[in-house]
Formats: sequence, structure tokens, C-alpha cells
Amino acid sequence: MKTIKEISIILGLAFVLAFTVNYFSPTGIAVVGQWDTAQGVVTAKAKNDPVINEIEIATVDQARILYESGDYIFVDARSAEDYEAGHIKGAVSLPVGQFEDKIAGFLGQYPPEISIVTYCSGRTCLDSHQLADNLLEFGYEKVNVFIDGFPGWEAEGHPVE
Amino acid sequence: MYLSTAFRAGRLKGIPLNNSLHNILFSSWIELAARWVLGATFIYASYSKILAPADFAKIIFGYDLFPASAINLAAIILPFVELIAGLALVIGVYPRSATLIINAMLLAFIVSLATNIIRGHEFDCGCFAINPDNPSNFPGTLLIRDLFFLALGILVFLYRKQRRLCISSTLKG
Repeated sequence: MKTIKEISIILGLAFVLAFTVNYFSPTGIAVVGQWDTAQGVVTAKAKNDPVINEIEIATVDQARILYESGDYIFVDARSAEDYEAGHIKGAVSLPVGQFEDKIAGFLGQYPPEISIVTYCSGRTCLDSHQLADNLLEFGYEKVNVFIDGFPGWEAEGHPVE
Repeated sequence: MYLSTAFRAGRLKGIPLNNSLHNILFSSWIELAARWVLGATFIYASYSKILAPADFAKIIFGYDLFPASAINLAAIILPFVELIAGLALVIGVYPRSATLIINAMLLAFIVSLATNIIRGHEFDCGCFAINPDNPSNFPGTLLIRDLFFLALGILVFLYRKQRRLCISSTLKG
């Protein structure tokens, strides 16, 4: 009986503290997240969440249409090693982990007027969204996220290199 | 008569040996060390999860064992249960009950790890640091480490004498 009381006190304190901190923390998350890959990129819906659903390209076919149009620069958000191992043909590497080091070079090569499609390794990967956020912050206005990323592209047999 | 004496002698020899092993394992200093190691480990483990609950939620999602509606709740609550139970062990408040909670969590971790090892599911343990660049600790090592912590937890739980450096301790609770 005493043990039940003590456990309740410890758990009760943890619960209250957990929800209070989560409510006020700038990195707090929603009570229910988005964990269905069929609905898009999975995310805990944090307050600092980089996911913007409106800029998502939901299917490989749509991405292929943009790719074929030739008006879009595809930008690979994954690490340099992943990019070297295989990427969408013609894509530019801009690893989100090295964004600060590489953005100056990228800005020099690609003016803010261009249309960009970012991608990473699929719907459980937030890097393409994070990269899109960063690019929007740096003045690029036409940025979209191809959420199926390299694995989705490759699986459909579209051009890779 | 002879046999019985030998038997008795053996038993008499056996008892002090068993007692000394028992005394070492359940000495108040060993209990204190086990309790502090366990408590400090859980406090440390809670730290990066509290700072980045979204990353922790994604790791829980990666285990592919829990319903979507429970993932965020677990990511919000679990780190604080680790923190409070860990603190309770270190400062010695309700040590036995805190150990029960920690052992329950360890058991859950062990079952989750083992399930994913057995079905060959690739996942990020997310036990301590949440580091997307270096996700994979070898799951077998993690399992052994968790079993070691569980052994410490069982020792702290079974300890029935007066505990050292405790704010409140229930001897029989």
C-alpha cells in the first residue's frame, strides 16, 4: 500500500512536471504527432518543427513533372557521403548539417529567384524540410519539398547518378 | 555418526561463506553505490530527451512497436519519469518505490530492444544522447548494458537494511 502511494507520488510529480515543461519549452511537442507516412513526413509537431505541409510534393509523379520541366533545381539535403553514394541526376548537394559552411557558395551560384526542390531520404526524414526552412530564411521564395526523397525516386526507376 | 559430523562440518563451513557473499552484495556501501550509479544514469539519460522531445519521439516511432497516438505522450512523459525516479534514488527519497519504477522501465527497454533484435528491425536506441549523425550502437551491447542496470536495480530493491544517505527510506515498504 505504501509502495503504491510512493509510486503514485513519483509518477504524479513526473507527469505534472512533464506537461508543464513541455507546455512552456520552445522545443515542446504536440500531445499527438503525425506518425502516418501515408499522410506525409512523420513529425512530432514540435513548436520549432520545420515541417510546412503546404510546400510538400506528395508524390513521385509530381516530382517527376517538375524535374522534367527543367525549371527546378533539385537540392539534396543528405550528407555528402549519401550524396556521393547516389542522388537524383543533376541534383546539387547542400547537406543540412553543413548548411552554414556551404550556403555562401550556394548563394553565389544560384540566385534567389530560382525554383528549388529539396529532398532527403523519405518520409521519416526531416532534413529536406529543415533545408527548405533554411533556404526560405535566406531569401529563396520558391522552395518545395519532395517528401519521398531519393529512395522513392530510385524505386520508380527515375534518373539517378 | 562420522558422515553426520562431516555433513555438519560442511554445513558449518558453508554458512560463513554464504553469509560473507551475502554481506558483501548487500552491504550498505554497495547498495549506495548501486543506487547512485542507477540514479545518475537515469538523470543523465533524461537530459537530452527533455531538451529535444521531437527527436526522442522520432526514436520511439523508429522502434515501430507503439501506436501512433501514444508516441508523443511517451516522449513527453518518459524522460521526466526517468529524471524524477533517478533523482529519488540519488537523494534517497522512496528508494524502493523509485527502483520499482526504474526496473519496470528497464524491463520495458529490454523487451523492446530484444523484440527488434529478434525481428531484425533496424532502429536507433536513443538511450542517452540523441545524435542523428551517429545513431547505431550495437543493440546486443545495449541489451547487456540494460541487463546490468536491471541487476543493480534488483539489488537496490531487495536491500532491506537501513540505507545510507537517504532522506526518507521505508524499511519494509
